[in-house]
Amino acid sequence: MSSPSEFIVVEVDMAACAGLARCGGCVRVCPVSIFQKSGDKPAVVEKNLDECILCERCLQSCGPEAITIRKLYEA
Amino acid sequence: MRLLEHESKRILEKYRIALPVGRLVGQGEPLTIDGPVMLKAQIPIGGRGKAGGILAATQAEEARQKVSHLLKSNIRGYIPKAVYMEEKKAVKQEFFMGITYDTVAKAPVAIFSAEGGVDIEELAQRKPALVRKEHFTVHSRLPLHRAREIVAEAGVSGKLLLGLSVALATIAEVFLDYDATVVEVNPLALMDDGRLVALDCHLEIDDDAVPRHADIAAMEKDTGRVEGERRMSDFERLAFNIDNLDHRGVAGRVIEFDGNLGLIIGGGGASLTAFDAIRAHGGRPANYCEVGGNPSVLKVKELTRLILSKPGVDKIAVIMNVVSNTRVDMMARGIVKGILESGKNPAQTVAVFRVPGAWEEEGHKILSKYGVPIQDRTVSIDEAARIAVTNTH
Ligand code: SF4
Ligand code: SF4
Repeated sequence: MSSPSEFIVVEVDMAACAGLARCGGCVRVCPVSIFQKSGDKPAVVEKNLDECILCERCLQSCGPEAITIRKLYEA
Repeated sequence: MRLLEHESKRILEKYRIALPVGRLVGQGEPLTIDGPVMLKAQIPIGGRGKAGGILAATQAEEARQKVSHLLKSNIRGYIPKAVYMEEKKAVKQEFFMGITYDTVAKAPVAIFSAEGGVDIEELAQRKPALVRKEHFTVHSRLPLHRAREIVAEAGVSGKLLLGLSVALATIAEVFLDYDATVVEVNPLALMDDGRLVALDCHLEIDDDAVPRHADIAAMEKDTGRVEGERRMSDFERLAFNIDNLDHRGVAGRVIEFDGNLGLIIGGGGASLTAFDAIRAHGGRPANYCEVGGNPSVLKVKELTRLILSKPGVDKIAVIMNVVSNTRVDMMARGIVKGILESGKNPAQTVAVFRVPGAWEEEGHKILSKYGVPIQDRTVSIDEAARIAVTNTH
């Protein structure tokens, strides 16, 4: 799959996500705006992916563990 | 950015500081005058009086000839594009007032002296008691009562004390409102008719703040205001725009050279060391730049692309000091992506990558994936420069 970022993929398991009305943690905590609102779910802002600083704040804020971050430069 | 006298005075005027009656005159303009005038070359440098850039005239024809002479003269490296003509009236007393930023105290400082029209630094050395200096903060600014204390301590009293304090507090407002690095009114004159008038003004705006002020930004873009000044090249302007893409870190303060080795260098003075080392090893830099403060991947990427877009430049040296406030992995991402977007191969394009510091291991993982060799902190900046030059030939 060709990725919008050379380096980082962020995926959200929408089925597991609790929704923005109940949670919205990822949209709130990401310091580089990688999540935005899309209806009641978060959407990944692809053009910002290169700026992910791997702080894991989104992972920590996500109760259902719906977010995955992958580094494309690690095998 | 240093403003010309007439530009500075338009700003003082907005803040209701009194000025002599004056106007700009150009080459061959018909002149009428009703009394003696001063003719002042508009150049962005001090010491113009001593260099013959300020002349007096009493007749219109004399004024016309002198304007014409000034517009042809090279004054301290500049040929003026305009002359500012002002009424010349009798002066009773001259004062100095200025605001600048004290980099040692890390605070703005107001300076006042009841002896104006002199070189203030020379006066401060010769007779320090005559120069009052007082720091203030950006937050509390310089309220009128503090300005009054400063002026009073310099020995001024009565009605004059009030007028001078208002002027001092006002130029502090100009300083803060305009993100200035210097506002100097020297002299502020008490005229025979009792008015307090700013006879000259030196105003410098922090270069990084110019885009915040529409009026100053318009002046900066006006290519006709100053001749003789080294202007930004198109390449440098594009780099400047890249640095303004966001407010994270610095990546885009660039000076263009005509060599073949692109440089992305920085880290607390290391950019100069790296630049000099590259030249000492026989390298020909395509540019000088300063990168630091953890710039965004976007800015580093765009800067890399810009440098590689210069004809003849197909190698980039990335050299920084040990950096704790810049992420090595974010630098690596920007460099790699910029090279890929330029249609080049990172392994063949990076002449050296020597950026030790925060998130270094992560940075090395990225570079390894693209086959870029990495130099760590055991390699000196000088050695990194030598490697870059060797790889460029
Ligand atoms: S790891 Fe940090 S920067 Fe990356 S997406 Fe999560 S919150 Fe944003
Ligand atoms: S933090 Fe997790 S559960 Fe909350 S909105 Fe984001 S993805 Fe959904």
